[in-house]
Amino acid sequence: MSDHVMEWLNPYLDGELHGSRLHQVETHLDECDACRAELASLETLSAFLQEAPAAEFSPPEKFAAQIRLRLPRQKIAPLRNRILEVGWWMIPVALLAIWIFMNTSFFLYDMLSVADRIGWLTSVSDWMRFDAWSAADWSAALERIGVLRGNSLALAASAERFTRTSLPQIILQVSIALLYLSWLAIWWTRHQHQGHSQALEG
Amino acid sequence: MTSTAAVNETELVFRAKNGEQNAFGELVCIHAQGVRNVIYRMYGNTQIAEDAAQETFIQAWLHLPSFRPQTSLRNWLYRIAINAATDMLRKEKRILPNSLEDMQLRDSQPGPEAIAFQEEQATLVKKAVLSLPDACRAVLVLREYEGLSYQEIADTLSIPVGTVMSRLNYARKLLKEKLERTVFMQQEARYV
Repeated sequence: MSDHVMEWLNPYLDGELHGSRLHQVETHLDECDACRAELASLETLSAFLQEAPAAEFSPPEKFAAQIRLRLPRQKIAPLRNRILEVGWWMIPVALLAIWIFMNTSFFLYDMLSVADRIGWLTSVSDWMRFDAWSAADWSAALERIGVLRGNSLALAASAERFTRTSLPQIILQVSIALLYLSWLAIWWTRHQHQGHSQALEG
Repeated sequence: MTSTAAVNETELVFRAKNGEQNAFGELVCIHAQGVRNVIYRMYGNTQIAEDAAQETFIQAWLHLPSFRPQTSLRNWLYRIAINAATDMLRKEKRILPNSLEDMQLRDSQPGPEAIAFQEEQATLVKKAVLSLPDACRAVLVLREYEGLSYQEIADTLSIPVGTVMSRLNYARKLLKEKLERTVFMQQEARYV
């Protein structure tokens, strides 16, 4: 009995079997009277169900007219919805653009500082050079707020470099990541809600 | 649905989403029969079918902004229809016809014996279908009367294809058992 294909007869009847499974069922049906009889009874049942007469309803036009009378008069302004929708999808695009711009800027800044240190910028205008004076100003500012007070020169230099270059990068990267994750969380919530709306359950 | 009709329907959905009631009215005309048929086959009562179908289209209008155009509108409507009819029956505590009163065929005039016999059989089949569990009946109706594929049924009812197959197997098995002693044996001879 375990070799029978009874469980596949319904999908076979409905044309839902393909490939090797279809071949297996067809081969088995050629040689098994019991499965052929079961298939015949399923065909009979299906034909019998089809014979049940359909109900008579009012014409679709009349039905549609009744529906229109019951429709709420005004829906939410579609143009405003579309603008909000476009704006919503622009958020991750804008975040990506900011992220690319920020990383490019930091990369160029690092390249310029390296070029300045090895003396490649000596022949260019002052405004294009890596401005050492701003580093000094930054150190002075750190000194004023007490960050460098009492520390060694090496530590002071590290603190200056970290607070002036690495820290802003970290803050910006984390901020963008948090914004993107928040957007993803909201999108997921909306998506779930939409699924529930479509199912209209509960 | 032909590709021209599909394009037309996509256009109608787009316009209806923008608030055009005329476009929505055309969509109602296209799908009214199918939606009412599904509910009728599910619950065997024309009045319930009419009322639940109206509720279905009202709900569809209200939730149209959340409808994804790349999916099937017909299947979406069928899903709403089945849920709307179930909710309606539960909330209003309507009693489904458990006698043959509401299930008699229309215009069943006393006629030749063969016609009377056929009508009696059809009524028994209908009663047997209505006695199936809701979940199985929905799958059976969508397959037998609306001709949906297993995948379409799965999408409509939000269940796996494997579940569609098992529910359909179970529904047909139950139907055969219910009908075997009455009309099925006699009919088998006609089709085999």
